[in-house]
Amino acid sequence: MATNNVIEIQHLKKHFKEVKAVDDISFSVKKGELFAFLGLNGAGKSTTINILCGQLDKDDGKIFVDGLDLDKDIGKIKPRLGVVFQNSVLDAKLSVLDNLKVKAQLYDLSKEEFQKNLGFLASKLDFKDILNRPLFKLSGGQRRRIDIARALIHNPQILILDEPTTGLDPKTRILVWELLSSLKASSDLTIILTTHYMEEANEADTIVIIDNGKIVANDNPNNLKNKYANDFLRIYKFDKSLPSILKKDNIKFSENDKMLEIEVENIEKAKALIVKYEKLIYDFEVLKGKMDNVFLNITGKDLKEGGI
Amino acid sequence: MKNELKKLSALVGRNIKLYFKDKMTFFVSLLTPIILVVLFLTFLKGVYANTITGLLPEGVKISNQTIEAFCGGWLFSSIVAVSCVTVAFCSNIMVLDKLNKSIQDLNITPVKRSTLLVSYFISNFLTTFLICTIVLVISFIYLACVGFFLTFLDVLMLFVSTICMCLFGSLMASVVGIFISSQGAHSAVSTLVSSMYGFISGAYMPISQFGAGIKTFLSFLPSTYGTILFRQYYMNGVINRLQTVEHVPPQVAEQIRLAFDGKLVVFDTTIPPWALFTIVIGTSLLLLGLYILLAHLKKHKPHSKNDAGK
Repeated sequence: MATNNVIEIQHLKKHFKEVKAVDDISFSVKKGELFAFLGLNGAGKSTTINILCGQLDKDDGKIFVDGLDLDKDIGKIKPRLGVVFQNSVLDAKLSVLDNLKVKAQLYDLSKEEFQKNLGFLASKLDFKDILNRPLFKLSGGQRRRIDIARALIHNPQILILDEPTTGLDPKTRILVWELLSSLKASSDLTIILTTHYMEEANEADTIVIIDNGKIVANDNPNNLKNKYANDFLRIYKFDKSLPSILKKDNIKFSENDKMLEIEVENIEKAKALIVKYEKLIYDFEVLKGKMDNVFLNITGKDLKEGGI
Repeated sequence: MKNELKKLSALVGRNIKLYFKDKMTFFVSLLTPIILVVLFLTFLKGVYANTITGLLPEGVKISNQTIEAFCGGWLFSSIVAVSCVTVAFCSNIMVLDKLNKSIQDLNITPVKRSTLLVSYFISNFLTTFLICTIVLVISFIYLACVGFFLTFLDVLMLFVSTICMCLFGSLMASVVGIFISSQGAHSAVSTLVSSMYGFISGAYMPISQFGAGIKTFLSFLPSTYGTILFRQYYMNGVINRLQTVEHVPPQVAEQIRLAFDGKLVVFDTTIPPWALFTIVIGTSLLLLGLYILLAHLKKHKPHSKNDAGK
């Protein structure tokens, strides 16, 4: 196992009767990176996460966390993991403080360690004022912050987030992402997340796309876009004759009242078009392909339609 | 070991807090005792008073105080006996944790599964015992108001019986709880226990009033023996008073004792108190063995794709 890999998964398999939920997948996660796991519902990402957390038995394969074998050292691995579940699983009737205190005790934290971590997280995640409030009285965003605090209360090395922003309003989603970015910047915490928001996956250092239990892509967002998604040339100001000339030259484009958009294979093709129609184009920009296109081109499935 | 005990204590505290913070669960667990009190106040008390006076020979009259104490003792023996089981089922945090998925959060901590299961049982026992003890104390206050004829030994044995029956109820709830993993199953079991347990334990009406077949069936249920334990210690004093103070002939007093389950006769054999205890404790030990066995056999890890939360 390479020294900078904090997680190493080798030939992992999990079947539920006839269904191959996870079908011989291998990948690794580097220490301190933000790792995104993409896939439609039932693709196998949550099964993989559940196996990694020791919630589910695997059928075959090996998992190493920080060099420890999951089969032999699950007791040593658990304190290294912090998990934020898709839906809050904390005790709704208990106060924020009680929830965090009980969980800290389960990780053998001393009172001093708990107070120190609580103080740090409460100021970082801004929940000092709601410490004594029961969870069921909190808003979605406040609750998510407490979920993250609970996952981090014992200073884990790896933070696993299973669709952490699903069901949250856009404002709270941004807040959660600001928190994650800040955590990542201020520590060497490794963050693994599953998400169906493409713009979130775009923030990751590495993206693994899983489809029908198999890994179909594993790279950084830029490389994936270069490999699997076309670029877009957007022309905002242009000569009136440009659309008819493009049609005549058999170049496909879409048009609305603000701009013309031409899908191109790569940046070279975009440059060639700009040079060719230099005198007719006054204002433009070239956009890299989107992760949605990457996903569509790799799996043949539309994420939005798939309803991850 | 020391660390595991600390975790156990943290979990027990959490479970007990959860039960008392959840007002709905707390209320539901007291529903059966409340129904019994309402039934008693509306008509059961009158029925029992009439039954007692109906059994008395002509010319023999007993004081209202004795009747009140007798009916009160019978009511509270039912309430405590039923509560030991219904409260245990309603305060089973293991089931609630499975239903609201909190168990996932506990399973990812470095707590041993055995510690988690023991914590559920201990907290279940403690909450049940606490509530039943409160009911017991209320019963003593009530009896003190209408007529207190319990001896010190009766009071002591009522506490011992409460401990035994709470153990029995908590272990039964724990064993059943292992199999419950859906809201539907939880509702079905709760409804069944709340509505049926009173009948099959003889808490709603005396077993002596059932037909021979049902009587035989009930004599095979350990719950019946638990109820009789409470009946004996709540009613011993007042039945003795019937003979010594109210001058009721011994055979009539004995008839009243039998009619109101003051003692249990199975296949023409009177079951002595030590045998009642033995049956309740023996069954509890069997349930404990079953709980340990099931905990080993039934893995906590989900087996289906849906269970895994996919």
